[in-house]
Amino acid sequence: MGLAGFEVEVQRPQADGGLSTEDMTLSMGPQHPSTHGVLRFVVRADGEVMKEAIPDIGYLHRSIEKIAEKVGWHGFMPYTDRVDYVAAMPCNQGWAMAAERLAAIEVPKRGEYCRVIATEFNRIQSHLLSVGSMAMDIGAYTPFTHALREREYINDLIEELCGARLTFNYMRIGGVAWDVPPAWREKALAYVQRFEPLIDEFNDLISYNRIYTERLANVAVVTAEDAIDYNLVGPNLRGSGVRYDVRRDEPYSVYPELDFEIPVGRGEMGRVGDCFDRYIVRIREMKECCKILRQCLQQLPPGPVITKVARNFKPPPGDCYVRVESARGDMGWYVVSDGTAFPYRCKIRTGSFAAISIVQKVSRNLMIADLIAVIASLDLVAPEIDR
Amino acid sequence: MQELVDGLIRSGLAPAALPAWVHYLVAMLVFGGIVVFVFILPIAGITTWVERRVAGRIQSRIGPNRTGPAGFLQWLADGIKSLLKEDIVPVAADAPLFKLAPYVVMTGFVGAFVAIPFGGPLIIADLNVGILYVTAVTALVVVGILMAGWSSNNKWSLLGGIRSAAQIVSYEIPAGLSIFPIVMLSGALSMQSIIQAQGWEPWRWNLFHNPFVFVAFFIFFVAALAEGNRTPFDLPEAESELVMGFATEYSGMRNLLFFMAEWGNLYVIGAIVTTLFLGGWQIPWALPDHPVVRTVLQFACFFLKSYFWVFVAIWLRWTLPRIRVDQMMIMCWKYLVPIAFVNLLGTAVWMVAFPAGLPAAQMALFLLGVALLGVFAWRVTYHLRRAGLTRAELSFNPLSTARIPW
Amino acid sequence: MGFGTYLRNIKDAALTIADGMAVTFSHLVRRPYTVQYPDRLPDGVRVQDTLPFRYRGILEVDLEICTACLACERACPIDCIVIDAEKDKAAGGLVMTRFDIDLAKCMYCGLCSEPCPTGAIHHTPEFEGADYSLESMVRRFVKAPVVAYKPKKGGETDPEIAPILERGMRYVEEFASPDAPAGK
Repeated sequence: MGLAGFEVEVQRPQADGGLSTEDMTLSMGPQHPSTHGVLRFVVRADGEVMKEAIPDIGYLHRSIEKIAEKVGWHGFMPYTDRVDYVAAMPCNQGWAMAAERLAAIEVPKRGEYCRVIATEFNRIQSHLLSVGSMAMDIGAYTPFTHALREREYINDLIEELCGARLTFNYMRIGGVAWDVPPAWREKALAYVQRFEPLIDEFNDLISYNRIYTERLANVAVVTAEDAIDYNLVGPNLRGSGVRYDVRRDEPYSVYPELDFEIPVGRGEMGRVGDCFDRYIVRIREMKECCKILRQCLQQLPPGPVITKVARNFKPPPGDCYVRVESARGDMGWYVVSDGTAFPYRCKIRTGSFAAISIVQKVSRNLMIADLIAVIASLDLVAPEIDR
Repeated sequence: MQELVDGLIRSGLAPAALPAWVHYLVAMLVFGGIVVFVFILPIAGITTWVERRVAGRIQSRIGPNRTGPAGFLQWLADGIKSLLKEDIVPVAADAPLFKLAPYVVMTGFVGAFVAIPFGGPLIIADLNVGILYVTAVTALVVVGILMAGWSSNNKWSLLGGIRSAAQIVSYEIPAGLSIFPIVMLSGALSMQSIIQAQGWEPWRWNLFHNPFVFVAFFIFFVAALAEGNRTPFDLPEAESELVMGFATEYSGMRNLLFFMAEWGNLYVIGAIVTTLFLGGWQIPWALPDHPVVRTVLQFACFFLKSYFWVFVAIWLRWTLPRIRVDQMMIMCWKYLVPIAFVNLLGTAVWMVAFPAGLPAAQMALFLLGVALLGVFAWRVTYHLRRAGLTRAELSFNPLSTARIPW
Repeated sequence: MGFGTYLRNIKDAALTIADGMAVTFSHLVRRPYTVQYPDRLPDGVRVQDTLPFRYRGILEVDLEICTACLACERACPIDCIVIDAEKDKAAGGLVMTRFDIDLAKCMYCGLCSEPCPTGAIHHTPEFEGADYSLESMVRRFVKAPVVAYKPKKGGETDPEIAPILERGMRYVEEFASPDAPAGK
């Protein structure tokens, strides 16, 4: 990876005997404890203060979109898990919804509820990992283990539901693959009941800790205009004050029947759109997920969870664009069908890919320690960026 | 110790033909060796065991528990493993500086043990500039860390080394300023004199003498943590940014020497805090007069008190996030130094106003301290209650490895 | 910075740090959540037995009830199942000479076990599959050519095959079907 075009400012000694300084060019990654996944940043820094942090992606590219064209409609579902393995359910849902929209299939009500329950549990999982790793990057190692401990409980619940803990392959075109097992609803409700006070404990431990808020407040402020210009989505966008959520603004599945709030960044500790806002939006979203889960688990209607879809699924030719609210924001699935059993093209638009583009802009005059906070607060995951 | 050596010469156990200074030199080397290998290195090693177990329990997991009972021999195993590792010196590194740096750091911390009073007669050298000597020697680690950071030929290590130099040098000021009130109260720099100026009852410790010293204690503890490169001040070895900061390029035993210096330094901090603020090795007069028993009890008292502060430092490390470089500087110069000055002046005014101290204020501060601890204990139970734990999920056994049943 | 802000900063820092320390101290008296696998489990407990029935572990094929319909081979997106089956009039049906599953390729997605009519191919709770050579990761289930199973009308009567078929059907029935009874 050449550095042509990245000029290094070199100040030669002045005539009056002034000092000559040079910028340091550091390479952060691809092996680094804090870049979430294999990411590389080329950092030009003047000591501790950065001039620029240029992202370098592609280390985790696996040609998933091309693989879709080879494995067919049903076979691609496990691959969608790997697009973003931290929050795999919304990816499943995006693909399933795209195929259903192309073939005009309707998912039964119970199936939609199962999808929402699975997605919201996955959202809690993803946010727990995100806030836990963010705390770890800032230096507090304990909240990470507490977050992962809670995540393990959800892993256990979903393992009972669909058999896997990370790459779920839970949804199918037409519904979901497994119905809720007996006694699972009570376990899930009991867990949600247990989990909500632990969010408060997490807040007491780290979220409002003075050292933590000082690290995050007023760092990398992204204004609402910038957020929209750079195409940020999800908690990144909501942290900058823009109240946009696909579940509310372009609702799908059973979200119109559910009652939940959209937390937005309010600039509590600094300016609106700083790292702390993005972080606290995720914490609040976890609470909203609990609300949604309670409603869904209590309102779960009887019935089938999947409609009949041919094994040799051939949707009519056409294209569609489906949006789902993944943990990282608005995830877009553009799928083109040519009438055969294999999709013609599948393009995935992920929130992290857009978010990484803003790192270069906000990293000017930040410290290297702040770069870590920015990367963590934007919740970048490398598999989503590179696919 | 000098009396001990003279006694040995007189009783004929040591050859009287050799001049006295040879005896003293040999005695110092022998005692120094004993103290280093029998006390300091095991303390540093056992502190790693304590740290890993405490860190595990704080994080809802078990620490090491396979090597030895409750994992007690893990530090030995790690030490032996490090000795057997390949010693990598990077090709482009400045080899002499690279190899020397860990030893400079170790010197800085081992040198402090000479003046630490473990008991009435248990001090290697009761220097009359005791506390000044300890402060000066522990500052030697800056040189070692800078050497390590520079000679590694690694930009990340360099960043770590420079951050550490700035940090340690800056935090010497509030630490020193917080020591002055104690020196004024005790009237001497010598460690034993400072202890003897306090009493054994908690309300006669320096900590509760007057409100200014009470605040100076917190300032000193924070500054000492910063000097020891402990979270929240562990930027020089910030794991998530710089992998291991100034020690990134070190492998094997050299690496371990850095970390033993850090953990051993924790004990030195605890010892200094105990000496200055907590009455050192003072035990109740009512206890038996037998000299050996007294000495053992004094040693135990001092050790427990200083190890408690090691535990607090470990506890803080696993609770708090890391401070950024500029925030650390702001905290030092804008918060700690002015408050330390206020403490210094306040103590001087207090000493003029109440030359013999004010027992009512001492008792009041002691009760305030107890009350604060009570509020803290209530808050701990509040968290336990709010987490909605069942009986099966509580365990008061620190060595417990029993899991929650599925 | 006004004096009020100065004092408030100090008070804030002290209180939040103390609260954090209280949370951490409260964790010191809680039981750890670690499961000390594999050598310090409670007596007689195998982790595999505690996993849910739907757990997607290593694949296994019950050849006694395999009908050689090749539905699993077609469904696998990663081509890790290879089956050779030919019609043999003399043996009375399809004869399988090869049924290989390459575990190194398998991504444990479960797409193969879904269309199986009898549940012959199913996931087991086994997850300890680490081995020293890549060749040993290919599980060859057919040792000698075997005749494919033909499901009997009216249920299976053979006492050896009936329990296997029952377990297989129980596995397959876990999957959701469009004709599920309403009101579950």
